[in-house]
Amino acid sequence: MSIEPKTESAVREDVPDRPRGYVVGSAPDSIEREIGHDEFDPVGTLVLILGYFVILAVMWVFMYFVEFLGRGLTVVG
Amino acid sequence: MATFVDRYPEEASVVKATLVVSFLSLGIGALFGLVQALHRTGYLRILDSVDYYTVLTGHGVLLALVFTIFFLMGLFTWAVVQSLERPLPDIRLSWAWVGLTTTGAVFAAVAILAGLVPSIDMSADVLYTFYAPLMGHPLFYIGLAMFIVGTWLAGADWFLAYRDWRGDNPDERIPLQTFMVLTTMLMWYLATLGVAVSTVFFLIPWSFGWVETVNPLLTRTLFWFFGHPVVYFWLMPAYMLWYTVLPKLAGGRLFSDPLARVVFVLFLLLSTPVGIHHQYLDPGIAEGFKFIAMTNTMFLLLPSLLTAFTVVASIEHGARQRGGEGYIKWLGALPWRDPAFTGMALAGAMFAAGGFSGMINAGMNINYLIHNTLWVPGHFHLTVGTAVALTMMAGSYWLVPQLTGKRLYSRPIGLLQVVLWFVGMVLMSNAMHRGGLAGIPRRTAEPQYQNFEFSTMLGSVEEIQAGIALGGTLLFVSAVLFLFNILLSSIEDPIENPVDDSLPAPLSGASGSPVVLDNLRLWTAIAVVLVILAYTLPLAGIVGDAGVWGDVPGVPVWVSGNLDAALAALPEVIA
Ligand code: HEM
Ligand SMILES: [Cu+2]
Repeated sequence: MSIEPKTESAVREDVPDRPRGYVVGSAPDSIEREIGHDEFDPVGTLVLILGYFVILAVMWVFMYFVEFLGRGLTVVG
Repeated sequence: MATFVDRYPEEASVVKATLVVSFLSLGIGALFGLVQALHRTGYLRILDSVDYYTVLTGHGVLLALVFTIFFLMGLFTWAVVQSLERPLPDIRLSWAWVGLTTTGAVFAAVAILAGLVPSIDMSADVLYTFYAPLMGHPLFYIGLAMFIVGTWLAGADWFLAYRDWRGDNPDERIPLQTFMVLTTMLMWYLATLGVAVSTVFFLIPWSFGWVETVNPLLTRTLFWFFGHPVVYFWLMPAYMLWYTVLPKLAGGRLFSDPLARVVFVLFLLLSTPVGIHHQYLDPGIAEGFKFIAMTNTMFLLLPSLLTAFTVVASIEHGARQRGGEGYIKWLGALPWRDPAFTGMALAGAMFAAGGFSGMINAGMNINYLIHNTLWVPGHFHLTVGTAVALTMMAGSYWLVPQLTGKRLYSRPIGLLQVVLWFVGMVLMSNAMHRGGLAGIPRRTAEPQYQNFEFSTMLGSVEEIQAGIALGGTLLFVSAVLFLFNILLSSIEDPIENPVDDSLPAPLSGASGSPVVLDNLRLWTAIAVVLVILAYTLPLAGIVGDAGVWGDVPGVPVWVSGNLDAALAALPEVIA
């Protein structure tokens, strides 16, 4: 199957009676509503990525503290 | 509807062959990992500490080079064939590269493993970085050279398939998966130039004794010319699965096809001119070049962040289509019982953590804090050891049924397996990072010194060692579960619908994006220019200082047969 099939549908109709919940990759079976490009607003992604940035910044400062700030200005002094 | 193996039986056999080599290496490599984790923490010592380097070399080469790259070759073959929707141009060429890479890998592995058998006068305890002055048996380098040439032929196979397709479809956009394969291979051709020159012109003649000396800094620099981009060669197959398969597994669609193309182009441009960031502490390279490498490295954060955004947004799309709501609550609507999905999602989460330690590694000043400590393996077990390896294992649960027409033997065992890997790696890599901060060195069987105590910021050294040993054990168990699950799957009976292998179209397709994105010649040319800018002067400096051939005689590491040679070389090395 090509990544850009002719149909836009994410649900596969050609296999109606596949054993549900067993086949790997069968998540598309449980689609409740189709969301197109314009209705989709990735706020959850934004929340996760901002959270990640905060953690990164705090940890980076902590590492800098371990290496330099915790010991006084040895490089300059 | 038929799956891959029914449509392209010959190509499926090629892919299966590469996966068999890949998974065998995973098994042996994981066993060695367990041996190391238990040995250096003192929990169980089945080998002499002298043999630690043999095991460590086997672990590094079999996992970081053989397991990952053979998986890549299989995945890329599958991706090209299924996204161009046509068979490979000449299946004999495909079998030729399978044969060449496999023979090369076997040669290298034999040279390494012979080090464990004292009666054979052969070894290659040169670690997976294999630069001078450590010298291995010629068979090791010959195997490596064959392996590299084999990957070049594999790339040629995919480019030929693309050329045939282009002939029939002159005006279409390159299908996304093929685009990913081609850009990755262009990066690989550029990057492997360094290691090919180093192996063929220096290491092979030197290991045969045809030349007396080499310039170690030159072989190191040529290695790292390739040693950073190879990281993306591990990562790109994982990215391909995250971009094109993971959204589908989540019940959604890729957020943006053009964004995915931009990311792969950026990796082609930026991967190679950064290798010097592994050499911040090497004497003989001017500080300024190191600074340029650091700046280039920081630019590489851009494609990584674009990927984080695109991939998470695609998953979120799946969750919302499955009824997910809220800012965070949608995470609960994802198919967490599917081992392929959960494995890839956990792998991605670990990659985010690895991004942090990678940032520390990349900083020229703060790198000094962790250089050559256990922190470094802590970092890359998050990236290649989990982001890549776990994605490959999880992807196999979805891919292997397409190649065999058989269903996965057990989904629950698969789920347990991916979770065990995650937990094991949290334990092991957390302990390694903290051990590194305390100054515990890497690559040694005996990390303890006499009359010296490591001081930790949190917890104790004993607890760090317990974390490594326990984490390593869980990881090994996980690898065994994976191999058994795949093995048992492959002896099932074929069934009608072993897997849902359809890939939905992206939310935003390629058609609206600038055509210049598909201009591979242009991107290659820019990439070459960037490499020339980053490397000409440092290489000229290195050769100017010590000459092309240098003056270091080499330390043969197959000591058993070469003790005299090693002892004779020693005074010169020390001097
Ligand atoms: C069963 C799972 C694994 C265990 C228990 C394990 C354990 C270890 C340990 C303890 C070390 C540190 C050795 C030292 O510096 O003294 C190490 C090094 C290393 N591991 Fe793993 N590892 C595992 C999986 C992986 C995977 C999946 C990869 C890559 C795909 C990988 C790649 C490496 C590399 C490249 C090194 C460094 C070798 C060197 O320094 O030359 N490991 N591993
Ligand atoms: Cu690097």
